[in-house]
Amino acid sequence: MGKRKQIKVIISMIGLDDHSVGGVVVSSILRNAGIEVIYLGTYQTPEMIVQAAIQEDVDAIGISSHGSNYSQIDEMIDLLRKKKMTDVLVICGGTIPKKQISRLKEKGVSEVFTPESTSKSIIEYIESNVRGTNHG
Amino acid sequence: MKRETDYGHPIKLVYRPEDIEALDYERDLGDPGAYPYTRGYYPKGYRDRIWTQRMTAGLGSSVETNKVLKKYREMGERGGMCVICDRTFAMPIDADHPLGRKEAGVLGWPGGSLLEFEELMDGIPMTGQSVTLLSTCGSGYLQLAYIVAYAEKNGVDLNEVHGAAMSYPFANCFGQSDCQPLDLNVKMFLDSCEYAIRNKIKMRSAILSQHFREAGANNAQALAVEMAMLNELCSLLVYERGLDFDDVATIPFELASIGTRFFEEIAKVRALRRMWAKFAKEKFNAKKDRSCQLVIAVHTSGRTMTYQQPLNNIVRATIETLAGAIGGCTAIDNATMDNAHAEPSSLAARMSLNTQHIVADETGVTDVVDPLAGSYFVETLTDKVEEEAYKIWDKIEEMGGMIAAVEKGYIQDMVEEAMRERHREVESGDRMVIGVNKLVIPPEEDYEIPIKEVKPDDSEQIAKRMEEWKKTRNIGLIEESLSQLYEDAKKGDKYNLMPSVIEAVKAYSTAGEVMGVIRKGRGLSYDPFNMIECPFEFE
Repeated sequence: MGKRKQIKVIISMIGLDDHSVGGVVVSSILRNAGIEVIYLGTYQTPEMIVQAAIQEDVDAIGISSHGSNYSQIDEMIDLLRKKKMTDVLVICGGTIPKKQISRLKEKGVSEVFTPESTSKSIIEYIESNVRGTNHG
Repeated sequence: MKRETDYGHPIKLVYRPEDIEALDYERDLGDPGAYPYTRGYYPKGYRDRIWTQRMTAGLGSSVETNKVLKKYREMGERGGMCVICDRTFAMPIDADHPLGRKEAGVLGWPGGSLLEFEELMDGIPMTGQSVTLLSTCGSGYLQLAYIVAYAEKNGVDLNEVHGAAMSYPFANCFGQSDCQPLDLNVKMFLDSCEYAIRNKIKMRSAILSQHFREAGANNAQALAVEMAMLNELCSLLVYERGLDFDDVATIPFELASIGTRFFEEIAKVRALRRMWAKFAKEKFNAKKDRSCQLVIAVHTSGRTMTYQQPLNNIVRATIETLAGAIGGCTAIDNATMDNAHAEPSSLAARMSLNTQHIVADETGVTDVVDPLAGSYFVETLTDKVEEEAYKIWDKIEEMGGMIAAVEKGYIQDMVEEAMRERHREVESGDRMVIGVNKLVIPPEEDYEIPIKEVKPDDSEQIAKRMEEWKKTRNIGLIEESLSQLYEDAKKGDKYNLMPSVIEAVKAYSTAGEVMGVIRKGRGLSYDPFNMIECPFEFE
């Protein structure tokens, strides 16, 4: 990390999804890795999340999802595009079926972390892909 | 690798007679059918009555869910049906609410009106089997009203209907969708239970450790929180609503989440029977034997079902089903092999029901009652988990009880800590999970299973149908019943709203309307998300 400024991310649930274990756990994993986490909690709409991303000037948005129909993640990405915030990395995590993973990636989600992902892989992905890095 | 119980008690290599030296058979165990019911409630165990073998249904529209329920009957569901509500009805908001229309029919049944219930139950008997509807306080309120209204309309003898329709007010501390405030949830719980008791309707309320456990809690915590919830809620029904404890005891049912740690899970269920029996007798002087028998159903744990190598989950569900059966229970519903991916596919449902029947018919588990009683190990585990649970329960009572502990954030902190600990144990390899941290295969080599999906279109269809149908209703009748409900909702916590909710439901008011009007009467916004206005004008 060196001199680079601290990475700042939002972790949020979206819509009516209240299965928050994954989001809570990932928030602590990232905090322990020195990343600043703003955990928005439950019942967040795409508008609320994008608004928070603008206000907090975050580098990444992580959506924790369990059994959603994913349309609200699509809406959030459209909204980010509209606001020209395409430099904000969008990642998703949860029990997301494989078919949805490829669809979400086509839509503009950078990476989807399933229960197969390790803590290390999530941290490393964020650290090397947020804006200001070689890849980001 | 850890050799300790999930609540951190070290496990010895061998257990011997001295480990259970203090055990007094009559005092601590008793024969099956005798107090303190450690060995179960029925002298003849499963020979008299096999557990209800069921699968939880609910996904897509009510018509779709009805088809699935009928399919489950064909697949070997016996004794009862079980339906879980979707996220809109859990709130409850209507399917055509701006947030509802994106998630109607997701993870459950969109029971937003009596019409939905009529479609759900079409061609399915209301009597002769238990009807279990899993939900939240708000949707539980409405479900009890649906049952009353449906029975009346269809000439079903209401007193012949049995099962569960109501729910406990703490589930949203444990990751369950429900946006209503705690005080309102407590009121709805008390209203619905009081109404069922006073009208002799054999509908129970879920008071579950399952959600808490699935969020990450260990077995001792699960028992402690279960008992703290039972204490708080039964006390309120007795002392605030003036009901007799022996009537109140007909209300709760527990859904115990059973994981793969076989012996510990069996011990937990045995300990819970003893804890409740003593509690009922010692705190409330229960007069009836039945009052000392907490109904315990079993859910094989969804949390233990892995995303990786999903066929392994069939094995896990088998171990858990056997543990549930040996522990002793009234009903089992299984988490399925695809639990970490989606709602049950037809194949997964069939495998789950087959698992139950294999365990029931091929293992010999139904031949004998409480087969592990007297085991040095299992009796020690039973005592230990009970002892640890009492310590945690005492702490909750010292804080002023379950409601106070929730208000102080103590329970939520306990859940969060437990979640992190579970994650740490798996990631560090302290606990082995096959396919996750042992015998891992690359994702591309993992096998494909059928995945059942809900598409955004399906939610929109459910929303559109509600929108159109709303216009066809008798608005005069709806306004009349809702304005009565609004007046009643202003009368304070102890004024039971069930009668006016039932009238509103009979007039085909929707769940969102009923809930919104109650909220408005209590000085809250009509819409919990402040996105829509109340469509009715009162006064």
